[in-house]
Amino acid sequence: MTEADGHSRLLYWAGVALGPIAWAINLQGVYVIEHFSCEKTRTSGAIVSAILAIVSLAGALISARAVRRNAEAGWTDARGGGPRTFMAWLGVGSGVLFALVIANQLAASLMISPCLR
Amino acid sequence: MSMAAEPNELRDDVLNGLQLSTQLEKVWRTPSGLVGALMSVDHKVVGRRYIVTAFAFLLLGGILAILMRVQLAGPEKTFLSADKYNQIFTMHGSTMMFLFAVPVMEAFAVYLVPLMVGTRNIAFPRLNAFSYWMFLFGGCFLWISFLFNAGPDVGWFSYVPLSSLQFTPTKRADVWAQMITFTEVAALAVAVEIVVTVFKLRAPGMTLDRIPLFVWAMLVTSFLVMFAMPSIMVASTSLILDRLVNTRFYDSSSGGHPLLWQHLFWFFGHPEVYIIFIPGTGMVSAILATFVRRPVIGYPIVILSLIATGFLSFGLWVHHMFVTGLPQLGAGLFTASSMLIAVPSGLQIFCWLATLWDGRPVYRTPLLFVIGFVVIFVLGGLSGVMVASVPIDTQVHDTYFIVAHFHYVLIGGAVFPLVGAVYYWFPKIAGRMLSERLGRWNFWLAFIGFNVAFFPMHILGLIGMPRRVYTYTADMDWAHLNLLSSGGALIFALSFALLLVNVIYSLRKGELAGDNPWNASTLEWATSSPPPPQNFDRIPVVKHRDPLWADSESLPVVAGLSAERREILLTSLAEAEPQIREASPEPSIWPLLAAIATTVFFIGSIFTPWAVLWGTPPMAVTLIGWFWPAGSKEDEE
Repeated sequence: MTEADGHSRLLYWAGVALGPIAWAINLQGVYVIEHFSCEKTRTSGAIVSAILAIVSLAGALISARAVRRNAEAGWTDARGGGPRTFMAWLGVGSGVLFALVIANQLAASLMISPCLR
Repeated sequence: MSMAAEPNELRDDVLNGLQLSTQLEKVWRTPSGLVGALMSVDHKVVGRRYIVTAFAFLLLGGILAILMRVQLAGPEKTFLSADKYNQIFTMHGSTMMFLFAVPVMEAFAVYLVPLMVGTRNIAFPRLNAFSYWMFLFGGCFLWISFLFNAGPDVGWFSYVPLSSLQFTPTKRADVWAQMITFTEVAALAVAVEIVVTVFKLRAPGMTLDRIPLFVWAMLVTSFLVMFAMPSIMVASTSLILDRLVNTRFYDSSSGGHPLLWQHLFWFFGHPEVYIIFIPGTGMVSAILATFVRRPVIGYPIVILSLIATGFLSFGLWVHHMFVTGLPQLGAGLFTASSMLIAVPSGLQIFCWLATLWDGRPVYRTPLLFVIGFVVIFVLGGLSGVMVASVPIDTQVHDTYFIVAHFHYVLIGGAVFPLVGAVYYWFPKIAGRMLSERLGRWNFWLAFIGFNVAFFPMHILGLIGMPRRVYTYTADMDWAHLNLLSSGGALIFALSFALLLVNVIYSLRKGELAGDNPWNASTLEWATSSPPPPQNFDRIPVVKHRDPLWADSESLPVVAGLSAERREILLTSLAEAEPQIREASPEPSIWPLLAAIATTVFFIGSIFTPWAVLWGTPPMAVTLIGWFWPAGSKEDEE
């Protein structure tokens, strides 16, 4: 495997992984810092969510770049046989979908006071 | 395509036709006789046993459901006592979730995945046999306990402090907790086998984007099992420790906390719903493609939906705990995840509807069950979005609205596709077709019976009927809807009786199926019905996502595997390029003996902690026997 090959393989997988990881960190992170948010700064949860939504979208963009590099591989081809481009497309979808979920949680952070029991 | 052969070994590239089939059958067949049957490691034999056992537990769980519906058909009935009712609803839930729904999905995977990926046996076949025996012994342990009036009576979730020693001093909660350990060991074993089979045993050319959708669904499910099940095993083991040796995991007066149980249970319990549902979606995709005569539209979108659903299923568990007094922002985060999981599910539904719209549907029984699934699951999904909202959930919590919701999701999302799958794959498994006429009756009775049984429960819940009550007074105005619901349950039960009749009748007198009676596109239909012990005489080479539609006349094959010992081909993860030939284990009695030793260990340890001490040596002996080097030809080379 050449260095460039390894680099591009990483790009494919980075896109698939970043969305779910960002979402998992957001879910647990905002929950964990709730007490801190209530006592110190009420916007900390929203800030965390905003950053992680961007991380998730960054994953989608990285995968989109990987797709562009292999544009000739034709992901919609019913024969299949282009697994890397296929995984990169999954990365694009995954990044966007999980950014959407994080955005919804961001909305919750903006609307609900962390002090509310 | 041919692989380099070792000298002096008979390989499948020098044999042909009947000679090759006969030789491979001799190598791969299960030994005859009772001991031979107990030694079997053939994934098809184990898969069939799994399927039959899981359906036997469905029958038992279904009988319990009918008993409950008879009791609730009218006010103040005395058909069941309160104590018996508690045991029965607990046994019904536990049986359906742990002994039917999860195992039956894994059972179909055990049978079908190796065939669908084009290999000769599942990965770790002895572990597969061990898994079945553990499942069987765990199920029998639960049901024998029930018959001796020691069946659990604390609900399928076994909440503490109700299940603590203080409030349940009998062995009933221990029986539940240890049954969990049995079944989860079995489930975890199968999950590992499926993941390795899909990642390493795929036929050459079956790249990640050529894997059948059912196999993708089982892959995602297996990962869910591997991450969710340890949570419930930790929970059940710590519960047993609290009860047996006075640890304090769930005792708030000593630093423990009852809510810890709920977190551990639901961190498993919510993904469990998707462990049951995702295989159902795989079945739907397989059936739909065959009966509308075209590939499912949006193959990558369906897979994205499966993966996203799998991840998101781990971020919903707190919506089962909205009334426990959690901080509102935390509840809001889980509400967001709970509502957004409808997006990937919805994407799949739209892909299926588009496929149906664009294809040429042939309305045979399997497709009818798929359409039934779409209707019922969408209704269950809508009520799911409702209860994801904290105010609505708080209002309907612990009412029959929830009972209606999860039966719509689980029966609609899993049982309808499953019965469709029985009609679809029965010809492959048994070599004979199920009766289409009985199948149509089966479908309509199931569809009408299900909706009559469970739709009224929404209304019962909204007008205040709580769950888990063994009776109610006449002045509550719940009698008519309960009677209607009980009538529907009887019709629904009748549909399963008809399925049983159909299976028994068709096994003897059904029309012969042939290799590919539905003209389907995936590899399991490339071999005979039922498949021979070796699955395929030569391993197929895949060049298309729908190999049998693309190469219907002559499927390319790869040759060079041993014809005188069990050997399989390992391929690379993404591209499925051939990598190495690997020995596959021979039949063995050790998995059964190991399961017996483990059973003695597990059951003994709910009575005395010393069982951990004296139960370990027999397990160690059986495992040593199991892994003792056999000195295969591969080792000598």
